[in-house]
Amino acid sequence: MKSSASDLPTSAYVPERRSPPVAAPPGYWRIAWQSTRGNACSLLIERRGVAVSAGLGVALVCACILYLSLGSMALAPSAVLPALFGRGEMISVFTVQELRLPRLVAACLTGGAFALAGVLMQTLARNRLATPGIIGIDNGATAFAVASVVGMGVSLAPPAMALAGAATAAALTFGLVAGGGTQGYRFIVAGIGVGAVFGAVTQLILARVAIDTANAAYPWTVGSLNARPGDAVGLLAVGLGVGVIAAFVLARPLSLMRFKDATAYGLGVNVKARRFQVLMLSVVLTALAVAVAGPVGMVGLIGPEIARSLASSRQVPLVASLLSGALVMVLADLAGRTLLAPIEIPVGIVTAVIGGPWLLWILMRPQRSHA
Amino acid sequence: MTSAEPSPTLATESLALSYGARRVIDSLGVSLPSGQVTAIVGPNGCGKSTLLSGLARLHKPESGAVLLNGADIQNLPARTLATQLALLPQEAVAPEGLTVSELIRFGRQPHQGWLRQWSAEDQRVVEHALAAAGLEALAERPLEALSGGQRQRAWIAMTIAQQTPLLLLDEPTSALDLGHQIEVFELVRHLACHGRTVVMVLHDLASACRYADHLIALCEGQIVAQGAPAEVVTPELVRTLYQVDCTLMIDPDTGSPLLANVRRASP
Repeated sequence: MKSSASDLPTSAYVPERRSPPVAAPPGYWRIAWQSTRGNACSLLIERRGVAVSAGLGVALVCACILYLSLGSMALAPSAVLPALFGRGEMISVFTVQELRLPRLVAACLTGGAFALAGVLMQTLARNRLATPGIIGIDNGATAFAVASVVGMGVSLAPPAMALAGAATAAALTFGLVAGGGTQGYRFIVAGIGVGAVFGAVTQLILARVAIDTANAAYPWTVGSLNARPGDAVGLLAVGLGVGVIAAFVLARPLSLMRFKDATAYGLGVNVKARRFQVLMLSVVLTALAVAVAGPVGMVGLIGPEIARSLASSRQVPLVASLLSGALVMVLADLAGRTLLAPIEIPVGIVTAVIGGPWLLWILMRPQRSHA
Repeated sequence: MTSAEPSPTLATESLALSYGARRVIDSLGVSLPSGQVTAIVGPNGCGKSTLLSGLARLHKPESGAVLLNGADIQNLPARTLATQLALLPQEAVAPEGLTVSELIRFGRQPHQGWLRQWSAEDQRVVEHALAAAGLEALAERPLEALSGGQRQRAWIAMTIAQQTPLLLLDEPTSALDLGHQIEVFELVRHLACHGRTVVMVLHDLASACRYADHLIALCEGQIVAQGAPAEVVTPELVRTLYQVDCTLMIDPDTGSPLLANVRRASP
């Protein structure tokens, strides 16, 4: 250590005139070019991340084909693709294009949005349990949206109401732990409490309206892709597109926010501002997804968990979480549609059946210590 | 070896830091000598860690200011500050599975951007930081697999890669055994030899005497002594700080003060 290190200048070092070739760090590809203004630009692409995302992408495409072919009228997977483009029998074209495709799109979008919101919130709180579903944001969005669906209170559209509800729940949770920070169990417990209150509000609203109205709203309160409002899906598609771009812009500070605040701050991250941006993004994504499918918050826990088990620890697995979430949602809804056909199990119940044991496993699993 | 550019100065001006209603540091004015190792010592709860977080802008002053080259650090953008001042918090924690070189590369963050993710400069500085901390052979090991001293050296290497003239360390040796403590202190001395200004909070007065050029002794948020250890450490100071009596000797090899026969102060 000493002999080799002592002749290396530490802060007084002069950049070399002719730079040696740059090697990408292990596990990365490096793309370098000169910008038009002559600046040296470089990008690092993490190899494992690309491989994981490609793998998940392929799995998602397979799941989508399966989704489009299975159901009360089964189609051969080979007939799905032509039907998708309007070729083949009229009935298959109708089944694929009109019945299954819109629902599949909604499944992919909501799954992706829930999981992206989940991984953002987990990173923010540095806690794998801190997903919007667990800290009550889903329930807040649901309570407000149900109020709008059953025609109580303000006559805003469900997406706007869901957004208001999600923001209210987030503000309450963060307000309750004011000063305590977003780390640790206090935050989670406060969130669970807020979620329980909003869950009760939803039940109260349903109890007070006519039985038929309540019946109509019920599948939606447990999370279902059956009654998806078209405008909400469009809004979610736009929101998710913007959200993905925003998440990419935030990717570098996000990978530093996994450290202690002091470390991230010391490395030049404006922790407070970034945390607020990440929180807002997570809340908006959750609200838009709830407005389409109701509270399927478990996807926000399962998606990032799958992504994290596949990806490396070099960065926050944003794309992999998004794809895993979409995959879980598509498979869960496929199972819900087909397992007990003709009875349909709402997707929220399927994910809860998978997600409950998953949550227990996370809680019981011995934590690996790291310092 | 001296730096070509003038070394930056860090000082406070009637600085007051509070936790809620409790004032921890009150109207404190201190100037940290450039290119030297300064140790902040004092009893538990005297405000030494709070002062360090104030110096790093983690703690917003209630009044007064921290001045970097004469400018209030509150007005500096986070990234600019991060190119001037590196901070190693107490018991730093890294995401699971991160390797030594991955950790050190995070130190380049303030110098990088969206379209400047890995330059020749970054590569050279990271290799240099690995060498300075003597971690070349461990570069691709996960942090969990290192000993306490190696891990702490990896964290310091991250701050070396940040290439800041100022380095603040909060109890860098608190959880380490003697051998690992020496590893870390020797690295700190090495950095100071190469022109860095190092400020560290230490709870162990003996190590502070041995490895610091300048000592700041805090008691209840006030400076009770500051200067070279050999000049300011006296049995009276030790008694004021820690309520213990001791016999003071001079280390025959290094000339730094040694505490012997430390015992509870007689009333």
